[in-house]
Amino acid sequence: MTTLRLDTINKFYGALHILRDIDLDIREGEFISLLGPSGCGKTTTLRCIAGFETVTKGRLLFGSRDMTHAMPEHRDLGMVFQSYALFPHMTVAENLSFGLEVRKVSPVDRTRRIAAVLEMVKLTGYEKRYPRELSGGQQQRVALARALVIEPSVLLLDEPLANLDASLRDDMRFFIRDLQQRVGITTIYVTHDQSEAMVMSDRIVVMNHGVIEQCGPPRDIYEHPASQMVAGFIGQSNTLAGRILGREKDVYVIDTPEGQLKSLGRDGLKGEVRVMIRPENIETAAAENTLSGRVVKSTYLGGGCLVAVETPGGCRFTTNMPADSALAAGDAVTLGFAARKAWAFAA
Amino acid sequence: MSALAAPVPMAVAAPRRRLPVWWMILPALILLGCFLLLPYASILVMSFREASTNAVYGPGLTLGHYGEIVTDGFVWGIVWRTLRTGLIVTVATLLLGYPVAYHLARSRSRWASLLYICVISPLLVGLVVRTFAWLIILSNSGLANTALKWAGLIGRPIIFLNSSLGVTIALIHVFLPFVILPLLGNLQAINPEVAMAARSLGASRARTFFKVTLPLSMPGIQAGAILVFVLSISAYVTPAMLGGSQGRTMAVLVVQYLVDNFRWPAGAALAIFMAAITVSIIFVYLKLTARAMRRLP
Repeated sequence: MTTLRLDTINKFYGALHILRDIDLDIREGEFISLLGPSGCGKTTTLRCIAGFETVTKGRLLFGSRDMTHAMPEHRDLGMVFQSYALFPHMTVAENLSFGLEVRKVSPVDRTRRIAAVLEMVKLTGYEKRYPRELSGGQQQRVALARALVIEPSVLLLDEPLANLDASLRDDMRFFIRDLQQRVGITTIYVTHDQSEAMVMSDRIVVMNHGVIEQCGPPRDIYEHPASQMVAGFIGQSNTLAGRILGREKDVYVIDTPEGQLKSLGRDGLKGEVRVMIRPENIETAAAENTLSGRVVKSTYLGGGCLVAVETPGGCRFTTNMPADSALAAGDAVTLGFAARKAWAFAA
Repeated sequence: MSALAAPVPMAVAAPRRRLPVWWMILPALILLGCFLLLPYASILVMSFREASTNAVYGPGLTLGHYGEIVTDGFVWGIVWRTLRTGLIVTVATLLLGYPVAYHLARSRSRWASLLYICVISPLLVGLVVRTFAWLIILSNSGLANTALKWAGLIGRPIIFLNSSLGVTIALIHVFLPFVILPLLGNLQAINPEVAMAARSLGASRARTFFKVTLPLSMPGIQAGAILVFVLSISAYVTPAMLGGSQGRTMAVLVVQYLVDNFRWPAGAALAIFMAAITVSIIFVYLKLTARAMRRLP
């Protein structure tokens, strides 16, 4: 268990700048997700931490130890791969024993620790099976057990749930999070699935084009995105371009094509901004901010309806309505939302 | 009702009897039967015929040729030399080829395709031409000896030709691709994350190689080794051109029996004898390697 510090990490492939000034402080026992679209640099960041990619510039600290140029085998970490990467020629017990043998753990202790970790991942009795005799979910748990049995200081997970089917994936999210909290291990989790990151993480690091767009707790990322990319990548959102006119206490007054709107935002915003409203925060009644328009489309989702509304100015908003909403395409509608539910960020 | 509105009959395929799958291998089977099994059978029959002075073989049957072969120390000497050469060539190509295959399998460099062409290049030049080049390089005053003498490594030229040494060197060159290609396919199929997992668990590069990569590449090693071994003990052109009398192998001896001495039944027996030895070695080899690979998927 240790803290982890990425100090202005840069990575080049030839002339390609893959990672730019990645700065990250990870607390002891924290669960951090690296989230972003494919090619954003999240896996490269993870591989730099693991030692499978060299860092071109910057420093990597495990606690107070500089690990920037250490070999992967000297970093004392456990890693779970997307493909699980179990040793196909070894039984489950031998897979788990591999890291313990390297560490010269006595056979008695090995047996004890393997039994303990197998119980933790609910695979007691599977010691003699080969990986090919296990289901995807079971292989996944063996991979997790193999990484945890060596009691590493950091656990790295590279899209471990990507190859599982949807229902199993939901179970495994809670399973991994629960396990991580019980063991209390510092964990870095790479994913492109925003709901996965949302459910599991203490903090989410949203990456795009090799830079960190935003880093914060899930609630902060969802409600207070720092940029259009974050707002668009996490959940559904409506955004509107505008310009700041002034500020009344903590509420910005913003001039938009749809009239003046009031919105929260970080201190120090000025000039061109974008205002974001989540669909679930829009009502069909006048409020602090009011828009009018016509329903373009209503989609029944089971738990509710997703209604798309177009304003006379040509802006399109989506809003969540109850499932019994009678709104149909062509209906005129008034939309309202509270200033505290709107969020402005620099355009 | 207009013609357009008429229901278009659905194109329902009549249930057809499925052809048994073995039909597909029939052409290959016929080819093998005509050009492999029949000739082998005729050689087998010929090997039991009596020798004749005015025909290819006489009318009578005998076991004499086999008796002569198994009691002939000269033949056993050549058997031993052939197998020894085969073994050296197999081990040498494996040792030389494995790192190349490994590099090719893992490389993301654009030079990799150039290296790949280099690897298969021995196959692009005709056998006789290639062997003739070796003849020039390996002769007493050839490139190899001149270079070694110039470097001060040797005083007198090394005798490459008319010995097993030159044959071995040339065979290693020719058969290197036959060990690299199966290994390459095998190594490419191994998930690179498996080796990474071993490293992350604390294993050094060497430990990762011997405990993970090497065991997983056994099928490639097995396939490459068997191919090179069989090809080198049955090679004819290379030992015939470079080996002379001191580097003579079984294949050369068989041809000598047939063509030079016109002893067809004895030559046939020698060929069968050689095939029997090869088959038993392969059998034992497969048994042994199957044990080593029983844990692989």
